[in-house]
Amino acid sequence: MSGTCIACQEGPSAPRVVVAGLASCFGCQLQITNGEAHLMDVLGQIDVRYWQLASSDPMPDEFDVAVIEGAVTTEESERTVRMLRERAATLIAIGACATTAGIPGMAAERFMERPGQVYDRVPDACGAMIAPRPVSAVVDVDFEVRSCPIDTLDFVDVLQRALYGSNKQFATKTMCGDCKRNETSCFYGAQTLCLGLVTTAGCGAKCVNLGRPCNGCRGLSPDANLASAREAVARYGVPVEEFDRALQMFNQVNPALAASE
Amino acid sequence: MLYRVIDASELPALVSAFMESYEVVAPVKSERGYVFEAVSSPDEIELSYDTTVSSPKKYLLPPVETLMTFDARDNRVTDFAAEITPRVIFGAHACDINAINRLDLVFRDGRYPDPYYTARRNATLVVGIGCTPSDTCFCHLWDADEARFGYDLFLHDLGDKYLVSISSVEAANILEAACDPRVATDEDRIEFRHATRRRQAAFNPAIPDVQDVAMLMDAFHKDPYWEELGGRCLACTACSAVCPTCFCFDIRDTLDPSGKTGRRERVWDACTAPQFAEVAGGHNFRADGRTRVRHRMYHKLNGFLANHDRMLCVGCGRCVKACKAKINPIEVLEFFERKGAEDAR
Repeated sequence: MSGTCIACQEGPSAPRVVVAGLASCFGCQLQITNGEAHLMDVLGQIDVRYWQLASSDPMPDEFDVAVIEGAVTTEESERTVRMLRERAATLIAIGACATTAGIPGMAAERFMERPGQVYDRVPDACGAMIAPRPVSAVVDVDFEVRSCPIDTLDFVDVLQRALYGSNKQFATKTMCGDCKRNETSCFYGAQTLCLGLVTTAGCGAKCVNLGRPCNGCRGLSPDANLASAREAVARYGVPVEEFDRALQMFNQVNPALAASE
Repeated sequence: MLYRVIDASELPALVSAFMESYEVVAPVKSERGYVFEAVSSPDEIELSYDTTVSSPKKYLLPPVETLMTFDARDNRVTDFAAEITPRVIFGAHACDINAINRLDLVFRDGRYPDPYYTARRNATLVVGIGCTPSDTCFCHLWDADEARFGYDLFLHDLGDKYLVSISSVEAANILEAACDPRVATDEDRIEFRHATRRRQAAFNPAIPDVQDVAMLMDAFHKDPYWEELGGRCLACTACSAVCPTCFCFDIRDTLDPSGKTGRRERVWDACTAPQFAEVAGGHNFRADGRTRVRHRMYHKLNGFLANHDRMLCVGCGRCVKACKAKINPIEVLEFFERKGAEDAR
């Protein structure tokens, strides 16, 4: 996909895009529409062929870019993801659910027992359930837009990287550097748990700027140093168990978390 | 150098005089620390601050700056003029002034001066303030506890008055107009000398003074210590974000949402960032914490010295507070102190 000529973007062959929603709150799809100021500009660069949020037209057989929101939690959604991967030249996973298994992933442990805890008779409306997993656990993902929910302009930026290519790197550094650039006081100085120590940076530490510790919605960085982070957490007087428990929210199905324990 | 004395009560008038023609940035209280920020009144300034989260570097080398704007459709540069705000950095400690002097070496005084940095630097006055070291300060080890140049005024706190070192006409004129500076007397000089001695005696004696650290680093480049130190790096880049002398940057092109126009941006980068040494083709020649942290320490305490005759570390201690993994130059000094003790046995 990458390499589409920017100069030709007004030509007749805009990239055909489909947007698919799996297990999620649809909030990340809404975030795309929340960029009202730029929405027409963005939609003008692509040819949206399928988007349940906007139209009930069925998904076409051919397209260039697949945008996937949500975690894979059923055999049907697993098949959908494989089909999207086969047909699309470029696959973009958006939001915490698609990139980390997110909120559905919180229930991953003993997942198959959970419906029975809620329902006397488990309805089959949801399809054949499988343990929640991110899209990347099923197929190769070309681009990711992290966060819960995604940032609208972050999505536009990644979409453009997919469409035109870019000299920007995808950084895997963790969050604390952003807090220093923002010059906010570190929560650990007040013996308060914060997951920025191990979470992939890129949001600009929005929550911390609003006075809340990082809850890790961007997921563990592949360069996260969990052993060292646990030592730091303890050194600053925060119980390590609290840190480990908090990490379960967005990283429960991440093999790196299990491997570090 | 010209010295004058002003009363402490005259300081607000000096700040106000600067504010007439400059944006004044100064240390202000913020949550549990201090930050340099633009002030609108002298009352906001906290000159007794210990340190700030980040350094005044951000005013000369912003975390993100647009180098030029472009039109992607015809591959044309549309504008490359940086907007420069005439500014006074008011209340910089000696370490930070020495840090600016190092940035000057890199961006202004070299063979290819950086026009963006130089324009900001030339539009910036620096007013220094004397300080008392806190327990993480080690500027004296690198001869950075006094600023010999790089400022316009330096205020030495003598209790109810300031001994002012004056090194620019621009600032001298403002001082002259706003205050009633008088010639320093022998008594003022004696008080200054006592204040200097008190500062020199206040440094944390637990921080080892290893003056040959650069030479030792040459000898112990392959020591397992670097795995011990770098192996605990959290890969967050807090160290370089707070460092007053870290100047590495990345350049990237950012498209506007329209995809038609965009801007070329310079953003702070860090040698402790995992992708810093990634090259075309995907090879990363510093792919782990050991090599990245070692590289950072060698640049601070070894390499820059070889090229510029001074450490790139000024001992401000910010990284000591910022790094949650306890990776900082003091740790390196302690290692070489231990190493020296072992060798002497």
